[in-house]
Amino acid sequence: MIVDAGNLAMVVALLVSVYGVLGSFLGGWRRSSALVESSRYALYSVPILLLISVYALVHAFVTRDFSVAYVVENSNLAMPTRYTWVAFYAGNAGSLLFIAFVYSVMAVGVAKSMVRRLPYTLPYATGLLGILLSFFLFVIVFLANPLDRLAFALPDGQGINPLLVHFGMFIHPPMQMAGLVSVALPFSIAMGALMAGRGGRDEWVDLGRIWGMVSWLILTIGLLLGSWWAYTILGWGGYWAWDPVENSALMPWLAMTAFVHSIMVQKRRGMFRMWNIVLVTVAFTLAQMGMFINRGGPVPSVHSFGQSTMGWLFLVFMGATLLGSLAVFAWRSGSLKSRERLDSILSRESAFLTQNVLFLAVAFVTRWGTIYPVISEATQGLTITVGRPFFDRVNGPILLVLVFLMGVGPLLPWRRASARNVLYALRYPLGSALIGVVFLLVIGVHQPVALTALAVIIMGVGGIVHEWMRGTRSRSHKGESYPVAFGRLLAANRPRYGGYVVHLSIAMLALGAIGSSFYNLQRDIPMRPGETRELGGYSFTYLGVSERAFPDRDEGTARFAVSKGDRDLGIMSTTRTFYRDFRIAATRAAIRSTPLEDFYIVPSEFGEDGQTVFRIYVNPLVWWMWASGPLLALGTLLAVSPRRRLAPAPVTVPDGMGLARV
Amino acid sequence: MGESGTQRDPFALVAIVGLVAVVLVLAACSTSSELPELEQRAQSINRVVMCPVCPGESIDQSQNPLALQMRGIVVEKLDQGWSNGDIYDFFVERYGPRVLLEPPTRGVNLAVWIVPLIGVIVGAALLFFVMRLMVRSSEERPGETKPEVVLTDEERERYFERIEAALTADGPATDSGDRDDEDEGVR
Repeated sequence: MIVDAGNLAMVVALLVSVYGVLGSFLGGWRRSSALVESSRYALYSVPILLLISVYALVHAFVTRDFSVAYVVENSNLAMPTRYTWVAFYAGNAGSLLFIAFVYSVMAVGVAKSMVRRLPYTLPYATGLLGILLSFFLFVIVFLANPLDRLAFALPDGQGINPLLVHFGMFIHPPMQMAGLVSVALPFSIAMGALMAGRGGRDEWVDLGRIWGMVSWLILTIGLLLGSWWAYTILGWGGYWAWDPVENSALMPWLAMTAFVHSIMVQKRRGMFRMWNIVLVTVAFTLAQMGMFINRGGPVPSVHSFGQSTMGWLFLVFMGATLLGSLAVFAWRSGSLKSRERLDSILSRESAFLTQNVLFLAVAFVTRWGTIYPVISEATQGLTITVGRPFFDRVNGPILLVLVFLMGVGPLLPWRRASARNVLYALRYPLGSALIGVVFLLVIGVHQPVALTALAVIIMGVGGIVHEWMRGTRSRSHKGESYPVAFGRLLAANRPRYGGYVVHLSIAMLALGAIGSSFYNLQRDIPMRPGETRELGGYSFTYLGVSERAFPDRDEGTARFAVSKGDRDLGIMSTTRTFYRDFRIAATRAAIRSTPLEDFYIVPSEFGEDGQTVFRIYVNPLVWWMWASGPLLALGTLLAVSPRRRLAPAPVTVPDGMGLARV
Repeated sequence: MGESGTQRDPFALVAIVGLVAVVLVLAACSTSSELPELEQRAQSINRVVMCPVCPGESIDQSQNPLALQMRGIVVEKLDQGWSNGDIYDFFVERYGPRVLLEPPTRGVNLAVWIVPLIGVIVGAALLFFVMRLMVRSSEERPGETKPEVVLTDEERERYFERIEAALTADGPATDSGDRDDEDEGVR
């Protein structure tokens, strides 16, 4: 019953959103405010309708309604009830419904935010938002309906891949998917402004930037959570493998990072108008490419479980978007002349531009490396692999230059800088880097790449800290205490100081990446119960393994008594679970994480004679990577948080276009 | 800092000491030298050889029995005094070139390395010329260029103070638009 209601709601949502698309464009073109408004409200109704469908599906999962094909495929009676609440997005069809729902909510948010501020662009933007929504709904209703019923109910379901039954896994995929679709938000605003013939005015920039950063944040959190999941559950001591699906999620992130930076130049100086629209289009295309690769792309990957045969559909849609964007661009590009010109190659503007190009370079290299095996296969009939060593070696240096720019860029003056005042602005960052290098050398960091990278990070952090101190002190001269002064400083110029907070968290991320890739220690150690071994200053005694059999799985938990120096670190335990039905083994590593280093134990196999090979890692500084996440989110929110403003004066709109109800 | 050279800055000192402490801690933590050389070499080889049955994963990271066996082979060959190259060749002979995660640096597949390099160089050149072009076209209109404004920190701070004063005199939160939410305000 409720399943049928959900099905019906889905079909109605599709019709309504198609109406919304047609009505928006027609209304915008014919300047019919009534039509535009009704289309907008049509869009508003979609999330409510989809909520019914989502509810129906969740209900089917929780009540274990095995008459629904999708529920059978993605759950079983053995699944803990708390997981049935979220299992609906574990498979292809359900995840599409989830995406459509989340996207519709975000689209409504965008439309609502535009009503007052961008009345002319609004119809085109809602139309564009609606196209993607209609696409998803079309696929769901006709090709991958999660609410399809079987002819008769089955007694039990098949269950899902046990690797997916993990806390991080219930946040990472939806975040990642939401991140990919959310790139459509700034895209729709920018392209809508262009279609409305208002690309040359910078009015879309504020909202474009805000939604761009929202999308950037969701993408970033999705990536971080994915890495965290890999680190804690996959048991290989790493967090990023340059896997094709990881890469395809990284690429839109790179383009969005470029966009949220270069949009600042347009906001401030009225430059890069054309470039920003190109960037956001590239980001959106890459995001669609990501969805395509995730849903049945051509490259083998550890993410293969999300696969389906509908990848081609996403590819076609991507092609259509790209062509459409190019057409609009060709039609309207005359309106995109810069207001200002570049005054000097040494300026903050050009630092932004360089940063953009470098981010695109990383995206290009990544794309190239991901696609090369396919090219090689097609041209030479030779399968080769392009894996982690390639990406590390090629992208590493570019990323390092980017971290360098992150430190330098914000300190350069707008418009024009001279070599002298650049050096002057950089005296503290450079000074701290210099001192840092000396110290590093003294304490024995001689690896040249690590040394350079650390110096660059110290420089970036030095610059930020210096800026904060300068601002705080200048305020404190007027009698504010230091903490108050610092707080007010951050609040006074949110895009700028929010940006610094984000930069700081990126520096933490880089610190973690460098520490763990250059100074990690790993060893496979065969041990019998009672034996004690040492690695990296840790001493650990294998206490033994306790095995338990469950209906669907066997669990072996190994326990260790660990100490470092004289300090007792207590008991650590690591579990290896074998899922009999799936013939998959999952390990949960024992991790003791401190800001200094992680001590990480993972069993590789339990032998018959009681001897087990354990892999022990000492991963320095990984803690900083996970700690950077919350800081990054805070910084981004600070950067987009609106300033207190008076109620805006009503916008008077010439008749015929009285779109804004103000 | 900008104000006068003689003024001691407790802040800067704290910051630098803090940074250095982080770095110190970092470097103190560990070095790979604890492992014997052959084991380090084995690890670096393991990271480049792919486990043939688990796409994309190196034999270092894979828990597959085959990966385990291949790790054993690596150790064995190293003990016999094989060079890294010999071991790579050994695996390539058995499983084909796809077994290496790092594509070969010879033959047609050199392209995989060269194209990014060319891409980056072309990108950098393009960037430079575009910026040159943008600068030149602005120089061609001398009437439009505005006088260069470069503020020292001191001037900048005075400027901020004036803004502060003006803002507090006006009362809070006038509709500032978004114009003021960038620094310096040199326009």
